[in-house]
Amino acid sequence: MTTKLFGEPVRRREDARLITGKGRYLDDIGAQALAAAFVRSPHAHARITDIDVEGALDVEGLVAIYTYEDLTGPMAEPLPVLIPHPQLHAPRTGYPLANGEVNHVGEPVVMVVATDRYIAEDAAERIVVSYEELPVVVGVDAARDAAAAVHEEIPDNVAARHHQETGDVEAALAGSPRTLSFTQYIERSACMPLEGKGVHARWDPADASLRVYSSTQASTSVRAAIAAKLELSLEDVEVIAPDVGGGFGVKIVHPWPEELLVPMAAIRLGHEVKWAEDRREHFIGSAHERQQRQEITVGFDDEGRITALDVHAWHDNGAYTPYGIIVPIVTATQLVGPYAIPVYRVVVESVYTNTVIVTPYRGAGRPQGCFAMERTMDRIADVLGLDRAEVRRRNLIQADQFPYDHHLTFQDGRPVIYDSGDYPGLLAKLEALVDWPGIEERRAEAASRGKLLGAGMALYVEGTGPGPYEGGHVQVLGSGKVLVSTGLTSQGQGHETSFAQIVASELGVPIEDVEVTTGDTRRFPYAVGTFASRAAVMSGNAIALAARGVREKALRIAAEVLEADPDDLEIADSVVGVKGTPGATIPLRTVAVLSNPLRYAFDEAAKQATQFARAGSDDKPPVAEGDAPGLEHRDYYSPIRSTFASGAHAAVVEIDPTTWEIDVVSYAVVHDCGNVVNPMIVEGQVHGGVAQGVAGALYERMAYDADGQLQNASFMDFLMPYASEVPDVVIDHQQTPSPLNPLGIKGAGEAGVIPGTAAIASAIEDATGRRIASMPISPTELYDVMRSPNAELTAAAGRRTGVGA
Amino acid sequence: MKLDGSAVLHGTPEQVWSVITDPAVLARTIPGCESLRLTGPDEYEMNVSVGVGAIRGTYAGAVRLTDQQRPTSYVMHASGAGAPGNARAKVLISLAADGDGATTLTYSADAVVGGPVAGVGQRMITGVAKRMAGQFFSAIDGELTSPVTVPAVEEPRASSAAVSSTTAPAAEGVTAGTCAAPAPQVFTGGKAAASAGAQVDLRSFMLGVASGGILTAWGVALGYLLGRRRSG
Repeated sequence: MTTKLFGEPVRRREDARLITGKGRYLDDIGAQALAAAFVRSPHAHARITDIDVEGALDVEGLVAIYTYEDLTGPMAEPLPVLIPHPQLHAPRTGYPLANGEVNHVGEPVVMVVATDRYIAEDAAERIVVSYEELPVVVGVDAARDAAAAVHEEIPDNVAARHHQETGDVEAALAGSPRTLSFTQYIERSACMPLEGKGVHARWDPADASLRVYSSTQASTSVRAAIAAKLELSLEDVEVIAPDVGGGFGVKIVHPWPEELLVPMAAIRLGHEVKWAEDRREHFIGSAHERQQRQEITVGFDDEGRITALDVHAWHDNGAYTPYGIIVPIVTATQLVGPYAIPVYRVVVESVYTNTVIVTPYRGAGRPQGCFAMERTMDRIADVLGLDRAEVRRRNLIQADQFPYDHHLTFQDGRPVIYDSGDYPGLLAKLEALVDWPGIEERRAEAASRGKLLGAGMALYVEGTGPGPYEGGHVQVLGSGKVLVSTGLTSQGQGHETSFAQIVASELGVPIEDVEVTTGDTRRFPYAVGTFASRAAVMSGNAIALAARGVREKALRIAAEVLEADPDDLEIADSVVGVKGTPGATIPLRTVAVLSNPLRYAFDEAAKQATQFARAGSDDKPPVAEGDAPGLEHRDYYSPIRSTFASGAHAAVVEIDPTTWEIDVVSYAVVHDCGNVVNPMIVEGQVHGGVAQGVAGALYERMAYDADGQLQNASFMDFLMPYASEVPDVVIDHQQTPSPLNPLGIKGAGEAGVIPGTAAIASAIEDATGRRIASMPISPTELYDVMRSPNAELTAAAGRRTGVGA
Repeated sequence: MKLDGSAVLHGTPEQVWSVITDPAVLARTIPGCESLRLTGPDEYEMNVSVGVGAIRGTYAGAVRLTDQQRPTSYVMHASGAGAPGNARAKVLISLAADGDGATTLTYSADAVVGGPVAGVGQRMITGVAKRMAGQFFSAIDGELTSPVTVPAVEEPRASSAAVSSTTAPAAEGVTAGTCAAPAPQVFTGGKAAASAGAQVDLRSFMLGVASGGILTAWGVALGYLLGRRRSG
């Protein structure tokens, strides 16, 4: 058909709006709203002994002050454990407002509502909260030592002990020609969307209904949570995600305390209330990710083939576990990557610390898993003196082994069965793209300039598009406009473009006629949310199925009018016609009009559908049995299991041996997400992911001191990379369609971030000859490694004279 | 909502009694009192215009006494409504000589605040109520310690009035006088406070809030007045 847009690099339709200030973000809503501000805990662990609001009473414009005592019914109970799991034996969640104890700096204690945010902040400043400080637990090792407990009744600080194994790892290790054991660390970072969280709520007392705008990744579930917590009927609550300035995972968590408290205040005060998170609040009051300690033992033969892998990791989950153990599970199951591991055992202990909660951040445990697996490959290659690409190649799952069952259980409770892929293909493309054999030449050239050059690579497999389901609704109006909606939300991924491409292609209409709405419970009340690289796979397929339903109905109606067989009809450029018979056509918009038999001709188009305009058969009802008025269809896509995308990254770094500045001079990506809806958008996702990967490897970390104070809670001190720090990325694509869904697509949202830390650590190690076992790494830390007498030299360094000595 | 407090008044119980039962004194010591009228045995009506910080309004209240154990204790039932909100308070008041020529008055109130105003948060309501009580007792103490009306703020002793939970609030409320009316005006009725201009759109749900606390304060005062009439 002429409007085949699927697979085309269509420019993002939403960008004109978003980059010219016409976006409508949370803080653009509710100019007349009262403003909320929060008194947050300055202590990482303490008992609240008193809250004195006297000083705030004199602040002109103060409206209300809420503490835990004002919370009633379900609001007075702990926040939900969103994703319970049998191995999460000691889950804990906080309260919307602290109930006598605080477990991290930034935990909300008092909510103040005033005529504007400035006044609310002034009043909040004058509220005196007295605390009795308690011992503080910071960092995964402190949690492990358990000298102090975050939650009194959990003395070992262990929330969960996630355990999976595919065979007798002890025996397999004992029988292995060679084994290696090592420990490594990866630090905390965070999503850092440019727009923080935010909530606006308006209560209509006349019909007792609540409308909430929230900068969220899961409007339907926020709606359900608000209804449950505020004891409202679901149909009396609507939640809308307006334009959202980035999510990256932090906004999938819900209900945030503010998402419940702001609506509560709006109802109690009978006045709209708004809260927009400021940057410091986001640092100390939202969520982080990534910190793990990993103890790895690997068995392998003299050719570098892995015989057994035993991983014991400790995962810092922060003060509470609202999102269950999703991140530990993802680390445990995605760690194996593209490799065939004969026997695998993994234990991840999820431990409490007096720090901000840990929930999925783009990659969601995969970067840690990739770091563990890929660094293991590097060590095997180093010991055997083999090329790092060769060792990987020898362990790869082969293209003819799909579907490949790892005998593990994924984060969606489904088996980890890779649906399709070509990993040797990825590796071959990567070696060509980065000129892997040419690295030694570049190393020598750099050395002649007094620079240390090194290269590293990392491969990954990413489970994407987990269920349970998403839905789509497509409707053709009499005007010819095509309305598309899905409940899943958008945070800048370009859904208005890619979903429109899918509908335009399936329905045979110009993309200009297609209007896409996401994340609005008024338009589509059933959805799960935007996470785990699932939007294109889940909503994309649901929308495609809905469009196919519309097409079928359109052809059926047109067939009657054209007196033809539906199978002989086609739709192109919004016109239904008989294949190969010019002239015998009817516009799709007319079909839409006819699909809704009318009595009243409210406009010219409507006339054609009125009862005296059509010579319908007298023995058939105007709306056929089992049919419905209107040219629309609603459908759902529910996958049997996740579909597994894959990729391979290579980084080349150049290090200045005087300043130990680390410069990523080349970055190559080979990416496979099955069929691609819009290659331009996929590449954009990859670029953004790589930026966050480089950030996590070299710049971003959460600098907590021993007292649990976050010392870099601002963009002055938290080093988010500029374009100047993000390398140019060269990308090559490979397409192994997924057999699991109608469009054959796989997720692409998180891919770019996953291998960054592993590849760059490998490159730095290759350049310096010193073992890099903790990431991220700064020039200062690298300097310390270089001058430390205890720093471990790599075998490669020994074999290479001069370099890194 | 529970509200407890006490005040040390500088006079013997008898002196306190005579001062605190003088309608003229009450009219100028009850924060924001505009009128005070006897409507029947043990029953009074009053109009007050009160305000602290962002919370201001005009309010009509009624008070009734029971369980009088003169001169040591009685129970005061105060109730009333402003258009936007209403409040009901049951207050147990007791008097005790504290040995060195002073009297300790203790009150324990159980107040129910209704209407939109109930939505502003317990600590905010009790905070205002305690401040009102503190201002009232500071004013009474001012009456006790000088024959003519002298702003309690000028009195060193004033800050010692309304001790325990209400000490700090009282002292601060009277001396600071930022958003609340200046101290002298507090004694001459709440009009100043009321006219200090609360946000129009917020005013509605601020009215009743004060009443929850203020009722408690008046109740304490009216209790004495009614108690005296019975005895006399």
